[in-house]
Amino acid sequence: MHLSAYLLLVASLLFALFFAGAAAAQLWQGRSTALPWIEKAHLMLTGFMTLSSVVLLHALVNFDFSLVYVASYTDRALPLFYRMTAFWAGQAGSMLFWGWSVALFGVIFALTGGYRELSPQTKLWYWLFFLSVMAFFLLILTAWSNPFLTAAPAPADGNGLNPLLQNPGMIFHPPLLFLGYGGFAIPGCLALAQAMSNGYGREGAWAGISRPFTLTAWLFLTAGIVLGGWWSYMELGWGGYWAWDPVENASLIPWLVSTAFLHTSVIESRRGKLHRVNILLMALTTISAFFATYLVRSGVVDSLHAFGDGGVGRPLLIFILASTALTVAVTLIWRKDDAKPLSGIDSREGFLVLVAWVLLALSAIILVATMWPVFSKFWVEKPMGLEPAFYNRVCLPLFAGIAVLLSICPWLGWKGGVRSMPKLLAVLGVMAAVTAMTWYTYRMPMAALGAGAGAACVAGIIILLTTEAHVRRNNASLAAHGVHLGLALMVLGVAFSGPYKLEQEVEIPRDATVKLGKYDLRYVNLYEGEGAGYIFIEAELNVTREGAPVGVLSPQRRLYAKFDRQAYAEAATIFGLGDELYATLLGVDAEGAATLKISVNPLVNWVWIGGTLMCIAPFLGLRRPSSSRDEDDDTGDGQEA
Amino acid sequence: MSKKNGKSLYLVALALFLGGVGYLVFSGFSQNSVYFLNVSEALAMPSEKLQSIRMFGTVATQGIAKLDDGPGVRFLLEDKDNPGQTVRVMYRGAVPDTFKEGVEVIVEGGMPQGGAAAEFRAKTLMTKCPSKYEKENRKG
Repeated sequence: MHLSAYLLLVASLLFALFFAGAAAAQLWQGRSTALPWIEKAHLMLTGFMTLSSVVLLHALVNFDFSLVYVASYTDRALPLFYRMTAFWAGQAGSMLFWGWSVALFGVIFALTGGYRELSPQTKLWYWLFFLSVMAFFLLILTAWSNPFLTAAPAPADGNGLNPLLQNPGMIFHPPLLFLGYGGFAIPGCLALAQAMSNGYGREGAWAGISRPFTLTAWLFLTAGIVLGGWWSYMELGWGGYWAWDPVENASLIPWLVSTAFLHTSVIESRRGKLHRVNILLMALTTISAFFATYLVRSGVVDSLHAFGDGGVGRPLLIFILASTALTVAVTLIWRKDDAKPLSGIDSREGFLVLVAWVLLALSAIILVATMWPVFSKFWVEKPMGLEPAFYNRVCLPLFAGIAVLLSICPWLGWKGGVRSMPKLLAVLGVMAAVTAMTWYTYRMPMAALGAGAGAACVAGIIILLTTEAHVRRNNASLAAHGVHLGLALMVLGVAFSGPYKLEQEVEIPRDATVKLGKYDLRYVNLYEGEGAGYIFIEAELNVTREGAPVGVLSPQRRLYAKFDRQAYAEAATIFGLGDELYATLLGVDAEGAATLKISVNPLVNWVWIGGTLMCIAPFLGLRRPSSSRDEDDDTGDGQEA
Repeated sequence: MSKKNGKSLYLVALALFLGGVGYLVFSGFSQNSVYFLNVSEALAMPSEKLQSIRMFGTVATQGIAKLDDGPGVRFLLEDKDNPGQTVRVMYRGAVPDTFKEGVEVIVEGGMPQGGAAAEFRAKTLMTKCPSKYEKENRKG
C-alpha cells in the first residue's frame, strides 16, 4: 500500500508535467481545445494526492511503524489527536500537506464564477504556471522528501512526538502557515497568467477574482504567526513571544510582502492604477513563501530550530531563482498604456504607497539581515550575523511609522485634502498626548511613539465607526478597519510589554517573598503529582499587590516518560488586561528552595487580542464586492483606509 | 497640484525614507553585528576579536558542573565536526530545560582577554529545538 501511495505521487507528477506541457503547446498553437482535459487532469491529480494523504494518515493512526515517517514522529503512547497531527511534524509530511492544500485551493478556484469568466487564453497560462508549481511539489515529494519510505523490519515502537509539540498551540501553528503559503499560489499564478495573456479590460481583473484566496491565505498566515508567538510565550517558558530567530523571520517576509500587496491592490481596484506593481508584489509573495521554507529547511542559516538539511535546499533555491527571474521578466515585458499617474503624496493613495514602501523595506531588511551570515562570508573571513537588538533598533521604528501613517490615512481624501479637519486633529491630539505621557514616564522615545500612534489608531477607528454610517454598512471597509484595529491593539501591546517588562531570576527558600515592581510573590508550597504520560513538581506562589491578593501562580516542571532525563517547564500566568504575571519553575534543590523566573508583562494580552481580531476581521471582506471601482469620489469609502 | 510637482514630491519622500532607513540599517549593522562561529573557527581567531560573538557547538559529555552560587553551569563546548576542539564555557543564569550532554547549543558572549586557558563567558545559552529532526533521523 505504501508503494502504491508513492506511485500515486509519481503519477501526479507525470500528470502535472504532461498537462503543463499541453497548456504550453496549446498556447503556442493558438488553440484551447485541451482546456477541459487540463481541468480534469488537475482534479485527477488532486484526487491522487488526497488518496496518498489518506494512506499516510491511516498509517499514522494505526501505528504502522514500517513507514520511517510514522516511526520517527509517533509512538504507541501518543493519543489519537497527536497521531493525526504528526502528519505535519516532519519535513516530508509537511511538504505533502502543503502541496495537497495548494492542489485543493486550485480545485476550489476552478469552481468559482471568477475562474469561469476568464478567457481561454488566460486559463491556459494559469494552468501552465499552476501545474508547474504542482510539478515542483511533486518532484520534491517523489525525489528528495518521500513520506512513504519504508523500513524493514519495522521497529516495535516509534520515537514519539517531541513534548514541546504536544500542545494545541504548536500543533496548529505549522498547518496554518502552510495553508497561508499555499493560498498565495492561486493569485500569484493568476497575476502572471493575466499579464501574459493580456486579458486586462477584456475579463475580470485577476486581483479582484482571486481576492478571496489572497485574503484567506493572508488570514491563515497571520493566524499562524500569532499562534506561534503565543505558543512560544506560554509553552517555551522564556517569557517572550518573538526572538527574531531566522525561522520566525522567514514567516514574516511573505506576510510583509502580501500585506504591501493588499494595500497597493486597493489603489488598483478602486483607482485603476499600479497594475504592474501589483503583479510583481503578488508573484513575489508566492515566491517568498517558498523562500521561507528554503530558510527553514535548507540549514543555510544556523537557527534555534535545527531542522537540518533535509535535501530539499538546492531544488528549492533553483525553483526560487527561476520563478523570480520569470516574474521580473513578465513584469518588465508587460505594459498597460492607459494607466493613470498617482495622486499627490498627501492623499490617501499616497499614504497607501508609503505604507507599501515601509512594508517592503521591512521585508528587504529582514531578508538581508537573516541571510547576513551567508552574505557576509563573501568579504569577511568569518561569517557575521546580527543580534536581536539589530531588528529591534531597525524594525520597531518602521512598525511605529506604519501606525502613524495608519492613524492619519483614514482622514485624507483619495485625491488629496483632509476629509474632516476636526477629527484628524482629535486623532493627532490623542497621539501627541499619549506619546508625551509615556515619554515623560519612561523616557524611551520609540516606545512612546509606538504607544501614541497605537492609541491614535484605536481612537481614530472608533471615531470613524461611530460617526460615519456608510463605513458601518460596507462589509469590506468593516473588515479593513477591524484588521487595523487589531494591528493598533497589537502595536500598543508590543509598545508596552516589550520595553516595560519586569523580569527576575531568583532562588528562594520556602516561605520567602520576592518583590517585583508593585507585586510581592510569596513561595508557599511545593507539590508533586502525575499527569497523562508525565510526572511533575509544582511550586505555589501567592501574589499580592500592595497587600491586596492578586492570585496564585502554579508553575510546573514536568518529566515525560518517553523523554527521560529531560524536564520541561510549564509556565503559569495570572491573566490580566493590564499587568500579566508570569512564572516558570527552573529547578528545586534538596531543601525545597525553588529557582524561578518571574515577570510582570504589561498589556501583553492585547498582543493576542489584537492578533485574534486581525485573523477574524478579514472574514467580513471575503466576498467579492459586486461593483469593483468607483472612479472619483471620497464619499462611500469602501475597501481599506 | 500639478502632476509633475506630485511626482517630484514622491521622489523627495522616497529619498528621505531611504535615507532614514539607510541610517537605521547602517547604525544597526555597525553596532549589532557579531561573528557567528563554530568552536573550531573561534579557536582559530585571536581572542581580542572574540569580545562579542555567537558560537555554535555541542555540549561535551565530560565536564558539566553546576555553579555553586546561584543558577548557572560550566561545561565544555565541542566543535560539531571536530569533537577534539573544545572551549570552556561559563554561563550564569537559568539553564534551559533541554540542556544536557550531546545537544547542540548556541552561546552568546565573549572571551575574556588573556591566556589560552580562558573561559568563555556566555550571556545567553540557547539549546536548539530538541531532537527528532531530519539530521538525526538520517543517521539512525
